[in-house]
Amino acid sequence: MSPPVKILSVVVFLFAVFVAVPVMITVTGRTDFYYTLTSVALLSIASAGVWLTFYIGRINIGQGAYSLLGGYASAILVVDYGWSFWLTIPAAGLLCAGVSILVGLPILRLRGVYFAMVTLVFTEVARLLALALPVTGGATGMTSIPLPGAVSIFGLTIIPDFASLENPRLAFYLLAVTLMVLCFAAMYRIVHSRIGRLCQSLQQNEELASSIGVNIVYLRLIAYAISSFLGGVGGVIFVAISQSIYPSSFTVTDSVNFMLNCFLGGLGYVFGPMLGTLVLYFGWDLLFEAGRFQLLIYSSVMIVLILVLPNGLLSLGLILRRKV
Amino acid sequence: MAELLEISGITKRFGGLVAVNNVTFDVRDREILSVIGPNGAGKSTLFKLISSFLKPSAGEVRFKGQRISNLAPHIVARRGVVRTFQETTIFRNMTVRDNVIIAHHLRSRANLFGFFLGSALARQDENIFGQSADEILAFLGLAPQSGEIARNLPHGHLRALGIAIGLATNPSILLLDEPFAGMNHDETMKAVAMVRSLRDRGLTVLLVEHDMPAVMKISDRIVVLNFGEMIAEGTPAEIQSNARVIEAYLGSEDEAIGL
Amino acid sequence: MEQVIVNGFYLGAQYALIALGLTLIFALMNVLNFAHGQMYVLGGFISYTIYGKLGLPFVVALISSGVTLAIVGALFERFLFRTVIKRSLREESTMLLAAATAFFLDAVILLLFGEKQRGVPKIVKGVYNDGNLIMPYDRMVVGILAIAFIAGFILYMKYSRPGRAMRALAQDRVAAQLMGVEVDRYTMIGFALGAMLAGIVGGLLVAITGINSGIGGPISIKAFLMVMIGGAGVVGGAIAGGFILGMLESVGLTVLREFGDVTYLVIFAALMVFLSIRPNGLMGKPWG
Repeated sequence: MSPPVKILSVVVFLFAVFVAVPVMITVTGRTDFYYTLTSVALLSIASAGVWLTFYIGRINIGQGAYSLLGGYASAILVVDYGWSFWLTIPAAGLLCAGVSILVGLPILRLRGVYFAMVTLVFTEVARLLALALPVTGGATGMTSIPLPGAVSIFGLTIIPDFASLENPRLAFYLLAVTLMVLCFAAMYRIVHSRIGRLCQSLQQNEELASSIGVNIVYLRLIAYAISSFLGGVGGVIFVAISQSIYPSSFTVTDSVNFMLNCFLGGLGYVFGPMLGTLVLYFGWDLLFEAGRFQLLIYSSVMIVLILVLPNGLLSLGLILRRKV
Repeated sequence: MAELLEISGITKRFGGLVAVNNVTFDVRDREILSVIGPNGAGKSTLFKLISSFLKPSAGEVRFKGQRISNLAPHIVARRGVVRTFQETTIFRNMTVRDNVIIAHHLRSRANLFGFFLGSALARQDENIFGQSADEILAFLGLAPQSGEIARNLPHGHLRALGIAIGLATNPSILLLDEPFAGMNHDETMKAVAMVRSLRDRGLTVLLVEHDMPAVMKISDRIVVLNFGEMIAEGTPAEIQSNARVIEAYLGSEDEAIGL
Repeated sequence: MEQVIVNGFYLGAQYALIALGLTLIFALMNVLNFAHGQMYVLGGFISYTIYGKLGLPFVVALISSGVTLAIVGALFERFLFRTVIKRSLREESTMLLAAATAFFLDAVILLLFGEKQRGVPKIVKGVYNDGNLIMPYDRMVVGILAIAFIAGFILYMKYSRPGRAMRALAQDRVAAQLMGVEVDRYTMIGFALGAMLAGIVGGLLVAITGINSGIGGPISIKAFLMVMIGGAGVVGGAIAGGFILGMLESVGLTVLREFGDVTYLVIFAALMVFLSIRPNGLMGKPWG
């Protein structure tokens, strides 16, 4: 894409998510879409993390663990220690990144299905730990977590207290979408700078990468830590919206879904996870009308999509361009 | 000529098997030294030991007087000892030019965060790398292929690309893993000329090879391994008349020595 | 103590049979079959229908489970996996397909059989009890059948023509093709065989634990664990992994009974540590 086209598409996208969508929702009165779209935005942040681990050649089915960890960290800091919710976003994210470095050191040596399985098991370990540890409240989880409070600098209120808003749904939507935009802007930079190339070099051949002087251990850890940071941030906001968290808030199913979002959007495209999440989550929601045939239609459509576009939805653009 | 690389008493055991046993030799600055030996003589193990892809059970490798065994492979590469692989080891889904550009990583001055922000240093790096990559591709005759996806290249070009990747790291000593394997006579002669031109660029070349005529033609010195032990070291003429070498090669079925 | 070991052995035999199918598919195609648990469930419901509802002999039910799943497996391979493997840039793309087929089977099972837990009449009545060892006869029959199937599978892979072809395929696809093995045909047979094993275990276990539509996912995960313990793509590894997980569960549930889920926490955490130390499982090859 040429630079003017790029800028134009960014402007159109920002306009769509920040203006067009809220206006459409107000006009149609379908305020339930706020919740759906907020979820899509948050899940796509966590999926973006998974996508980054795909980018270094690792199949990550453990993102649910970090979303759970981030959610619990935020909830505990807010409820037990009286932290401001806003501070817990970076704090929980960094905690997840830290934990992922400890976990990643041994397991990032694994490849292929072995890494995939260990991360899957890790999701289950996180859930069982949440059940067993004393700080998490066990199976009953933590409920009635307060809504995000106000933030003001020099007496100027930048973010209002969510509890005082008449439409916290819109506020959460804007929060989630803002974070999503930031996340994907950062991802775009990563992928289109030398770091992206280095990640690709890992994905394609770790031995060769190390022979040309790439510190593969370090780079793998960095990528995995960023991935887990994003997973944690997604979890934090989710917990703030539902004002509760349970050991089953993020399970193996969620971990698998994060991975599927990436596949469906396309592993080679940085915006793949966003589109994949939108299609899978929104599609599932829309099919609710189909009642007991929901799952059948959903899975059949998915199979057809994979057969037609095995390299992800975004590979469609490439195919069309080749035909033209 | 000064010793660039000193291999002293290096030994590698896998369980009960001794793959490389107490091998000692030097590589001098700006020479072409070949390691030869029958199949299973321990050549590739030795190769991996020198590039630090394997840790030795005993002995050590010193580069410019400093010990490099036990360092991580990427650090050894940073010091200037860089290996190439047999043909299939390339970044398959990148273009030829991108393969070479990424291999300049060692020379980059900006750090990861600088790349992320797109700092002036990072942008300068990218420019320099691009120019240098084009120069290397032209040097190895790969310029016409520079925009192709690497996995689509024919064998001979893949080999050249492997060497291009090695060159891009700006090594002092380049380790070549069977650079002539599977080539016909004409291709081998071209490759021999290419290895010579590497030395003319100021590089030291250590190669592990099967192809006897090529090795005899190209090497300043030759080291011969058999069953993990070093049985001879010397100029091509000395090696050709060495009784132990002839015995070792006659002992194995399908290899013949000579020009 | 004997009781714990016998229970573990009985569990292990079932698990090993499940893991064998999964590992076979992985070895041949590098596909992690997420739908393996659902195949097991489908097999269970078919046996339930034929033996439990129609009242036909258990053997007929078991054969029907196996045959149906073999057909399902063959169709999946021929029309879905083969296409996607040929057309996708990255091998892992099959994971999305495998997950989608898992959802699909889940949907079909729900629509056909509903979400109730189903059980069948006992295939053999009575309990063996000599004072310190208690074992219902039906469990013994099912356990012995499972071991017979494992033995049959090993013999088939070792001595039959398709078995040998599949082993060659798993070793080196390109070399096998050069030697004249019909790669497409035997890949399909392999997938069908793997699916059939899952169906057979489902059919066997419906006689003991019954079946319900929700257990597909958890069964898949257990099967993954066993394969990882033993080493992916290796027959011996799958058997070892199955018996090890069976024993671990049996021992763990006895020793850590009062802690409930902590058993699994310990097993899973131990598995993570184990794989970090031995990245390819007990006997896996460093592929994948």
